[in-house]
Amino acid sequence: MYMNTNTRIVSPEFDFIQPKTLAEAFSLLEEHGATAKLLAGGTDLLVQMKMERQQPSHVISLAKVKELEGIKAGDGLTIGATTSISAISKSAPVKARYAALREACNAYSTVSVMLMGTIGGNLCNASPAADTAPALLVHDASVILKTAKATRKVPLKDFFTGPGKTVMQPGEILTAIELPEPARGSGSAFLKISRVVADISQVCAAVMLVRDGDKITDCRIALGSVGPTPVRMKHAVGALIGQRGTPEAFDAAAEIVARDITPITDVRATEKYRRHVARIIVRDALLTAWQRAAEGAAK
Amino acid sequence: MSATQLKSVGDSSWRKDGISKVTGSEQYAPDISVDRMWYGRVLRSPHAHARIVSVDTSAAEAMGAVCLTFADVPQTRYNERIVSTPPCLYRDRTVVADKARHVGEALVGVAAPTEELAEKALRSIKIEYEVLQVITTIEQAQKDGADPVHDTVLLNGEDKPIINNVAVQRTIDVGDTVKGFAESDFVIERSFKTGRIYHAQMEPKTVICQPEADGGITVWASTQSIHNTRILLGQIYGLPLNKVNVKKVALGGAFGSSIQMNSVTPIGVGLALKSGHPVKIATTREEDMHDHVRYPSEIKLKLGMKKDGTLIAGEMHAFEFKLKQYVGLGGTFWGQGPASKCIIRSDGVPELLKTGAELINWDKRPKPGSQTGRMRRGIGMARGFHTSGVGHAKASGAEMIDYSGAIVKLNEDGTVDLIQSLMDHGGGTNHAISKIVAEELGVPNHMVGISPCDTRTSLYDVTTHATRGIYAGGAAALKAAKAVKEQIIDWAARVLDVLPESLVIEPDQELGQGVIYCPNLAERRMTVGDLARYLHLNSLGTISSSQSMRQVNCPPAYVSYYVDVEVDTDTGQIHSRRAALGSDCGTVVNPALASGQLIGGLSKGQGYALTEDNQWDPVTGELASKGFWVDGKTPSISESPLVADIETHFAHTYEPTGPFGAKGLGEAAKNPAAAAFANAVYSALGIRFYELPITPEKVLAALAEQAAGKTARAARQAPAPVPVAE
Ligand SMILES: Cc1cc2nc3c(=O)[nH]c(=O)nc-3n(C[C@H](O)[C@H](O)[C@H](O)COP(=O)(O)OP(=O)(O)OC[C@H]3O[C@@H](n4cnc5c(N)ncnc54)[C@H](O)[C@@H]3O)c2cc1C
Repeated sequence: MYMNTNTRIVSPEFDFIQPKTLAEAFSLLEEHGATAKLLAGGTDLLVQMKMERQQPSHVISLAKVKELEGIKAGDGLTIGATTSISAISKSAPVKARYAALREACNAYSTVSVMLMGTIGGNLCNASPAADTAPALLVHDASVILKTAKATRKVPLKDFFTGPGKTVMQPGEILTAIELPEPARGSGSAFLKISRVVADISQVCAAVMLVRDGDKITDCRIALGSVGPTPVRMKHAVGALIGQRGTPEAFDAAAEIVARDITPITDVRATEKYRRHVARIIVRDALLTAWQRAAEGAAK
Repeated sequence: MSATQLKSVGDSSWRKDGISKVTGSEQYAPDISVDRMWYGRVLRSPHAHARIVSVDTSAAEAMGAVCLTFADVPQTRYNERIVSTPPCLYRDRTVVADKARHVGEALVGVAAPTEELAEKALRSIKIEYEVLQVITTIEQAQKDGADPVHDTVLLNGEDKPIINNVAVQRTIDVGDTVKGFAESDFVIERSFKTGRIYHAQMEPKTVICQPEADGGITVWASTQSIHNTRILLGQIYGLPLNKVNVKKVALGGAFGSSIQMNSVTPIGVGLALKSGHPVKIATTREEDMHDHVRYPSEIKLKLGMKKDGTLIAGEMHAFEFKLKQYVGLGGTFWGQGPASKCIIRSDGVPELLKTGAELINWDKRPKPGSQTGRMRRGIGMARGFHTSGVGHAKASGAEMIDYSGAIVKLNEDGTVDLIQSLMDHGGGTNHAISKIVAEELGVPNHMVGISPCDTRTSLYDVTTHATRGIYAGGAAALKAAKAVKEQIIDWAARVLDVLPESLVIEPDQELGQGVIYCPNLAERRMTVGDLARYLHLNSLGTISSSQSMRQVNCPPAYVSYYVDVEVDTDTGQIHSRRAALGSDCGTVVNPALASGQLIGGLSKGQGYALTEDNQWDPVTGELASKGFWVDGKTPSISESPLVADIETHFAHTYEPTGPFGAKGLGEAAKNPAAAAFANAVYSALGIRFYELPITPEKVLAALAEQAAGKTARAARQAPAPVPVAE
């Protein structure tokens, strides 16, 4: 009965536990099994608990697990799962080399959500509208999933399986996100359309281009809020690689994107509007990324 | 007196509640807790229209909760808004409803020692509904055989039948429109639609009710009028008014949404009386969004004009979809000036139009339809007004109640207490009124404190609505201050041994005091503090005055808007880039706060114009947003032009009937917004929009039609002015 639904009162009871190490967190997950939930920033989980879409018996907070937080730059970048969106947007290596990710973080609706929300939470919540997902997809990121006994590395493009669904197994914790070093001569960009700024996306898109002179040698395009999961666009990319980076080529690729996506009509936008602006923002993002690739190569 | 001689009135002083507000120490109703307090929750209807067959609260009671159903509450109907006298006060409400008339209607109250338990108990209540026909449109409601939403409505003690869901019709005829249209050179007919807007006040509506040992109650509530809340609670629960005390606490915004007694207020009282515990109900955002609304409207307008643009005839049919689904033809928006005549004695419109045009570069505005690029700029203007108060309004033989009271007293050290029940919605009304008192008394502004008060210790004030706070409430405080000043002068004349007529009082900023002196006898002087101490130490009594008054005029507060927008023709988004906002509020009591009112009006008005439309599903009657604020699309600071790009300006007028020449400002600050934005979009695109909000989807559709060569939209919806046959 939706009339009781509200975003203020957490009425179901649960136990709250705050482990200090990853090892402790694993044993707690094992002990409390499927009815336990991990808590990072809580900006998704708490809302869902108040709305009774989630009713965990135990809430295991990751706030004190220091090994999960922070950004390590080297050859590529490793971002701890509980690093806040705000910290990522301010990070110097992100600013220098991962423009799409930075723009995705800056596109978050409000400052308070940027400060509380984490990148791991954004991915594990697996909303089709998660802003960091398309950006991480074009940066070719992988996620590190751990249990007490095993570690596996999953490319992000294979991570999402449906709205709110991922390949994660019970007992697994997403510990970090790994981004390879961007190719020489590459540029990226992220754009988001929403009804008001303090809102989640009606459509968002990230692109990455590698240029050699006026030719496109590699490309990735990913969108959010246009299907059941964040998606990478294969046909459009195929149409661009090997071509000259012209406005006409970008326009044509954007049109393929608008055709390939599978958006729905909901309270945020109509299907028609989503297709229309997907084309616009993919085209605009391609133009920006192309420009950035030239600037990057010049440096 | 000209405004330039004023001392307190007219400067941008820090508001007296400023520090407590920015540091978070101000107490709003949701901050109040009392000993032994329980928490209440309200079970609301999931159906738009349903009869309640049975209610089973046994499981909730087994958990230790106390429940309040229709059977537990007084069955007499009331109108939650009592600014009109009984001959035009339609009563259709009970504390909890006997039948669900909209999704979110309050049906059962529940109280328990914790809010979580109250919520759990609420969810255990079983209600059997008989679902009735859902009525969401005017046409459906008026069809023969439509299910009646209300069977009858109570008017002046008489139970009046409602036929085809029309409870009341009001026709206002002024002059001879037939003749007017016949004499017109042009006649235009247009239809307009406006959206359904949530007030989006920051404070969640709250009530705390403490039952007292003597059978009375003490109440803290979100309200625009503590006295009307008291009167209603007394009437509903059969309590004499000296047993009902409503406390004045800071109000976290209202936008008119607390003009009536809020729906949770009498429920909290009922639960407190039944449980014997103090009970607090703080609504969730979601239930609040179902509880009040600015009604969407459809307006058919016909205007006749002369060749020079003079309007000589008009006809308007307005339908507003009430939250309650009975239909009131020509109903009005709460707080939007009722049938009252205002006498214009100050008019700053010409100045506003001139200054605003200069600030925005009106002469350089783009010619509609002249641009071709992706981003197109457009400048639009509109003006509007709101009466300051309701004046001396008689409508259909009934009266609008409109008066304010104030108590002003001189403390033993020369400081002053202003005791006034008038509510401040957050705009700084109480602060402004304290400046009016300081001005009259001749003491520095900081000497006048705004006292906490309640209905027992203050005089009646109708409600802060209709842009009346400073004009009407300020006038009552001024009247009390005048009486206090007279006593101060009288006593000082005796002490200083001079004639009262020879004395003046002026603020001395160095001393931080008001100084009473005789201009031609320099040594005959004392501070107001000296006088107050003298009176105290000689047991001569306290100087004070308590006064009530009604303003008989309600001068229009004019506002002009010039806005500059940028339309992205690829995404359809409209960005608000610059604005010049002008106000004729007479003497500006506090310029910084008055600017704030205009800038706030722009923000709220922009939502109305461009983004907000909290519509319901026509089949189920559920809100499309489900009550979630993120889906209410209220603009925030991010949608506003940069502060540096918003110019505010004020007309140099003096309203002879207002306190120190002041009129109102509040509601007027928003009125022209939608028209100004629509005109700016027209300037940018050459396309007229007659339906709010002007969303990106609508912009793209209109651009596509324009591109297809047919300005079909404009032609279909807005026929060009028709020359009247000679
Ligand atoms: C007002 C508001 C505005 C928002 N605006 C945006 C926006 O603009 N863009 C956007 O993308 N999102 C937005 N969100 C959604 C949300 O803030 C983000 O998804 C955020 O990044 C979630 O991170 P978190 O740390 O708060 O997640 P949490 O709520 O703590 O967790 C989310 C889910 O992930 C699981 N989880 C968290 N960390 C891990 C881990 N390390 N391993 C395994 N599972 C884990 C949790 O169990 C939970 O199921 C908004 C939310 C709100 C309330």
